[in-house]
Amino acid sequence: MPEHPRTNVRNKPSNWVLIARLFGFAWRYRLRCLGVLGIQLVLLTMGIFGLSFTGVGIDYIRHQVMHTPISPNRLHLALPADWPRMRVLELLAGLIMGLALCRGVLNYIYNISVNILVQQKLVVDLRGEVYDKLQRLSFRFFDANTTGSIITRVTSDVQAVRMFVDQVLIQSLIMAISLTVYVVYMANLNLGLTLACLATTPVLIIIAVLFSRRVEPAYAYNRTLVERMVQYFTESIQGIAVTKGFGREPENRAQFDAANRAVFEQQYGIFWRVSLFSPTVGFLTHVNTVVLLGYGGWLVAHNQLPFGAGLVVFAGLLDQFSGQVNNVVAVVNSVQQSLIGARRVFEILDAPIEVKNAPGAIARPRLEGAVRFEHVSFAYDHSRPSASLSAVLASPVAAKEGSILTDINLDVKPGQCVAILGATGAGKSVLMGLIPRFHDVTGGRLLIDGIDVRQLNLDDLRRNIGLVFQESFLFSNTVAANIAFGHPSATPAQIEKAARIAAAHEFIMRLPDGYDTVLGEAGSSLSGGQRQRLAIARAVLLEPAILLLDDPTAAIDSETEHEIFEALDRAITGRTTFIVAHRLSTLRRADFIVVMENGRIVQRGTHEELMRVPGPYLHVADLQLADSRALQSLLRKEGTP
Amino acid sequence: MSAPSPRPGDRMLVHRVPDEDDDQDPFRPLEWALIRRLFSYTRPVRRKMHVLVALTTIRSAQVTALVWVVALVITGPIAAGSLRGIMEGTLGFALLAIVTDGMFHFRQRYALEIGETVVNGLRAEIFEKLQRQPMKFFNEMRIGRMISRITSDVEAVRIGIQDVAFATTVQGGQMIFAGCLMAWWDWRLFLVVVTMAPVLWFVTNHFRMKYSRLTRATQNSFSRVTATLAESVSGIRVTQGFVRQEVNAGFFRSLLADHSRYNIALARTSAILAPLLELNSQFFVAILLLFGGWLVFHGGMGIGHLVMFFLMTNLFFSPITTIANQYNLAIIAMASAERIFWLIDIPPDWTDAPAATDLADPRPGAAAGAGARVEFRHVGFGYNPARRVLHDVTFAAEPGQSIALVGHTGSGKSSIINLVAKFYLPTSGEVLIDGREIRLITSRSLHRQMGMVQQQNFLFTGTVLDNIRLSRPGATEEEVRAAAARLDWLDLLEALPRGLHTEVGERGAGLSLGQRQLICFSRALLADPRIVILDEATSSIDALTEARVQKALITLLRGRTSFIVAHRLSTIRHADLVLVLDQGRIVERGTHASLLAAGGHYAALHRQFVQMDVDG
Repeated sequence: MPEHPRTNVRNKPSNWVLIARLFGFAWRYRLRCLGVLGIQLVLLTMGIFGLSFTGVGIDYIRHQVMHTPISPNRLHLALPADWPRMRVLELLAGLIMGLALCRGVLNYIYNISVNILVQQKLVVDLRGEVYDKLQRLSFRFFDANTTGSIITRVTSDVQAVRMFVDQVLIQSLIMAISLTVYVVYMANLNLGLTLACLATTPVLIIIAVLFSRRVEPAYAYNRTLVERMVQYFTESIQGIAVTKGFGREPENRAQFDAANRAVFEQQYGIFWRVSLFSPTVGFLTHVNTVVLLGYGGWLVAHNQLPFGAGLVVFAGLLDQFSGQVNNVVAVVNSVQQSLIGARRVFEILDAPIEVKNAPGAIARPRLEGAVRFEHVSFAYDHSRPSASLSAVLASPVAAKEGSILTDINLDVKPGQCVAILGATGAGKSVLMGLIPRFHDVTGGRLLIDGIDVRQLNLDDLRRNIGLVFQESFLFSNTVAANIAFGHPSATPAQIEKAARIAAAHEFIMRLPDGYDTVLGEAGSSLSGGQRQRLAIARAVLLEPAILLLDDPTAAIDSETEHEIFEALDRAITGRTTFIVAHRLSTLRRADFIVVMENGRIVQRGTHEELMRVPGPYLHVADLQLADSRALQSLLRKEGTP
Repeated sequence: MSAPSPRPGDRMLVHRVPDEDDDQDPFRPLEWALIRRLFSYTRPVRRKMHVLVALTTIRSAQVTALVWVVALVITGPIAAGSLRGIMEGTLGFALLAIVTDGMFHFRQRYALEIGETVVNGLRAEIFEKLQRQPMKFFNEMRIGRMISRITSDVEAVRIGIQDVAFATTVQGGQMIFAGCLMAWWDWRLFLVVVTMAPVLWFVTNHFRMKYSRLTRATQNSFSRVTATLAESVSGIRVTQGFVRQEVNAGFFRSLLADHSRYNIALARTSAILAPLLELNSQFFVAILLLFGGWLVFHGGMGIGHLVMFFLMTNLFFSPITTIANQYNLAIIAMASAERIFWLIDIPPDWTDAPAATDLADPRPGAAAGAGARVEFRHVGFGYNPARRVLHDVTFAAEPGQSIALVGHTGSGKSSIINLVAKFYLPTSGEVLIDGREIRLITSRSLHRQMGMVQQQNFLFTGTVLDNIRLSRPGATEEEVRAAAARLDWLDLLEALPRGLHTEVGERGAGLSLGQRQLICFSRALLADPRIVILDEATSSIDALTEARVQKALITLLRGRTSFIVAHRLSTIRHADLVLVLDQGRIVERGTHASLLAAGGHYAALHRQFVQMDVDG
C-alpha cells in the first residue's frame, strides 16, 4: 500500500480523497489492467470488421441481383470482380467465421484475465490485509462494532472496493475507447446521420443518472427495511422461549407483520417509478430507429449511403453503442457503492493500533512474574482517534465517561495468587487487561519483573501470560487444536500434559474421537465446566509465568463448578495468578484479596484479616457463610448422637 | 472440473460442519402442483394477474411487429427509394413504438407488484406457522435454515414468479411469431436456421447447470471464509491474548486462496459460454450470407427477404438463451418453493386441545397475589418418547408456595419446569393448574400468568425499557420504573449509560451477565404472574449484586406459586417444599430443615456444595 496522508477520522475524508486512494490501490495492478484493456481494444476492432463484412456481403448480393452500384466501402475492401459469385460469398462467410473464432478465443482470455485480476489478486490481497489489521485492533473496536458489521467489511465492502477497479476504472476506460471508436467509424460512414442518431444519447445518460439517483436511495432504504425484518425474524426465533414464556406471540407476530408490511409498502411505492425506466430507455432507442429509418432511408434513397455497408452496419453499431451507454448507469452506481465500501474498508486499514511495540522494546522470552502497579489509573481517552468515533459513542460500553481505574497500587511477588472481588463495573477486568497490554495505563505505570510493560516486547509479554475468560471462546476445531491454540506446533505429549493439569484428559478421552474430536460452533457440544477446563489447558500449555483468570466459574452452572477447582489448583501452582472471583471457596485460595469499588481498591488483605473488619468483604462472606453455618450446625448435630 | 478443496490435514482455523441444506438438491424439475400452489399466493391481486397475462401476450406480438415494420421499411420503400413510403413507414413505426413502450411500463410494474405480493404472503405465513410450533421444534431446527427460507429461498421464488413466468411467455411468443414470419418468407432458409435451435438450447443448458453447481461450491467455500471470520471476531480476545495473529492470518489467506480457486473455476465456465453464444450468432450470419446468397442467386428468393432474415433471426434465437437461463432460474425457484412449503407444512407436534379454554385469573376479585395451584399426578415424560427422563412424578404446589427442585444435571429439574410452563406435554400422567388438566388450558392464558427467568435469557435488540416491557407491552415507563423500584434496583438500571433507554445491542452485548439478569427479573415482575419460574436465575450474578437480588426475590415471590432450580442454600432454604430428584424420580421431599435432619440424599448433596464453599 503506498503511503497515504493520515486521514482524520472525525472529519470524514472527502470523496476526492477516497477516489485518489482508490486510484493508488488500482495502480498496484496497472500492468494487469493494461493487459485487459488491450484485449478489449482488439476485440472491439474485430467486432467492427465482422459487422462490416456482413454489410459488404449484403451489398454484393444486391449488386449481383439488382445491379445497384457498389459504393466504395470504408474498409477499402476491393472484392475480386472476376471470382464466381458464390466464391465471393464463401470468402466473406469464411472471414466472418474466422473473425468470430478469434473473438471467441480472445473473449475467453479476456474473461479469465479479469477474473484472475479480481478474484485471485484484488480481493485476496485486500481481504488478507483487512483481516490482518483487524486482528491487531484494540478490543474497543470490537465492542463498538457488531460482529455482523465487521464481517461485512471483510466480505462485501472489500468487494465494493475492488468494484472500483474492474467495474469503474476498467469499465469506463473500455466505454470511453469503444464509444470513441464507434462514433469515429459511424461519423466516417455519414456525419449527419451519426449526429442525428446520437442526439438522444445525452438525454439517455441524463435520464439514467437521474433515475439511479432517485431510485438507488429507495433501494438502499429497502435493504435496510429487509435487514430489519430479517433481524426481527432471527431474534423472534432466538428468543422464542421468552416470547412463549410470557404468552406474547400475538404481539410478536404483529411486530413481524409490521416489519414485513413496511418492506412491502415501501417496495410498492417505488415500483411505478422503477417501471418508468426501461420503457423510457426503450422509447429513446426506438426514436433512434425512427431517425435511422427516416433520415437514413432518405440518404440511401438519394444514394448518399450504401445500403448494406452503410445502413445495416449503422443499425448494428447503433445497437452496440446504446449497450455501452446503458453501462454508464452501472458505472455511476458502482462509483457510489465503491465509495461507501472504501470508506468502511479504509476505516479499518487506517485505525491506529493503540498498543504496539515501543522502539527498542526489551526482549524477555522468559519472565519471572513479579507484577507491580504504581499509582495506575486508566480512562478511555476519547481525544485519540479510534476506529470510528460515532460507532464508539453509540456503544454503551465504550462511552463510559471518566476514569475506570484510579490510583491502583499493588505489589505481587512471583508465584503469588491475588483474588479480586468487586461488583460489576468496578474495574476488575480492566485491571487485569492492563497486564497483557490489552490497553495501556493512562496514569502511573505497571512493572513486570521491574520493567515497564510498555518497554517489553509485546509478543514476549503475552506469551508469558495465560488467560481464562468468563466465557471461554473455543474455536470450531479439534480439541487438540484448541489446546494448542497459542502454540500450534505443540507435540501431542505437550497437549496431553496440559490437559492433565487442567483435569481435562479424562473427559477428552471419553469424547468420540478423543483429542481429534471436532467441537461444534463455539464449543457448543461441551458443558460449561468442560469448556473452562479446555481453556485452562490452553492457558497452561505455554507454561506462562502469569495466569489471569477472569471469573472462570461465572458461566458454569453451580453443579459442575467444583469440577474445575482441581484444575485451577494445579494450574496456579508456581505462577503469579490474578483471579476475579465471588465465592469464598475461591477467594480463600488466594495469598491476598483485593476488594474493588468504582475503580479503586477499597480493601486488601488475607481472608482472615478481612473477616475481622466490617466492610464489603465481610458482607459477601456473611451471605455465603450463612449456608455453611447451616451445614456446620448440621454436622454438629450429626456428630452428637 | 475437480474443485480444489482445503487439505484436511491442515489445522484450519475453522472446521465448518456442513449444513443439512448443503446436501439438498438445488434444482427441482417443474412440478405443476408446486406452481399452482405458488400462484395461489397471487390471489389478493387476481385482477392484476389477468391484466398482466394479457399484456404479456400482446407484448410478444408487439416486439415482433416492431422489427417486422423496420424490415418492411428497409426492404420496401428504402430499397426502392420511395420517400413517401419511408415517411409513412417511419411514422407507423413511431406510433407502434409509443404504444409498445407505454404498455411495457404496466407489464413491468404489475410483475414487480405481483412478485412482491407473493413474497410478502410467504414470509408472513412462514412466520405465523413457525410461531405455532412448540418449543421442541426450535430446539431441533437450526436457525440458519429458517432464516434462509425467508431470505434466499423467498427471493428465488420471487424471481420465479416475477421474471421467469412472464419473461418466458414474452420470449416464447416472440419466437413463435418470428418463426412463423420467417417460414412464410422462405421455408428453406428457415429450416436451415431452425436446425441450430436445439444445439443452442443444449449448449446453454449444459453450461448453466454446470455454472449453478459450481456456484454452490463457491458459496460453500465462501461460507468457510465467513465462518472463520465470524469466529475470529468473536474470539479476538483469545487470539490477541495468545499471540496468534500471524498464524490466523496465514490460515485465512489459504482459505481466501481456496475460495478464489472456486471463483476462477466458475469464471472459466461462464467465460466459455458467452463467447460460444456469440460464435453461434456469427455462425448464423455466415450461413445466411452463404445459403441465403445462394437462394437469392439460384433459388428465387427475393433480396428483401434475405435482409428481413438478417433482422429477424436475432428475434428467433435470443429467446433460446434467455429461456434456457429462465428455465434454470425456474428449477431453482422450484427447489426453493419446495423447501418453503416443507417448512410451512410441518405439522406442530401438538397444539392446544380444541376444547381448551382460558385459565381464569381470580385476582381482581380475590385477595391480591393469589398464586396458582400446580399439581403433578404420576407424570412421566421424555423428549424422545423412547427415553423417559421423568418417571411417576407426583406432587402438589399449593397457591403461594415455593417449590425448590434439587438434583444433579440430567436429574429432570428442567423437564419439570418445561412441563409446568406447558412448553412440552407430559407423556403420561397429568399436570393440573388450579385443578384443571393443563391440556385443556390455552397456552397463552397460562403463559400470561407466568413469569420465567432462566440462567441465560435472550434480550431483544432495543432499549432496556423495551426488554422489560416485553412481558406486558401496554405498560408505561412509570409502571416499569415502579416494578424496578419494588425490586429495589432502579438505581442500578438508571446507572446504565442512558438509564432505561440504554440500547441493549447484539445479544445483550455491553451489559454484564448480572445487569442482564436484573432486566429479566424486572420483566418477570412486570407481568404480575401467579406462577414464577426461576431456573438457575441467580447463578451468573456477581456476589455483591446477588445480595440485592436475594432481597428482591422476596418481593417477587410473595403471594405467587414459584418453582426454583438453584444450588445456593440461601435461595432454597426458604422454600416451602424441596423436591430432590435423581434420574427422573423424586427421591426425597420435605422442607430444607426436615431434609437436612433426615440426612439422606439432600444432606449429602448439600454437604458436597457447601463443603466446597467452606473448605475450598
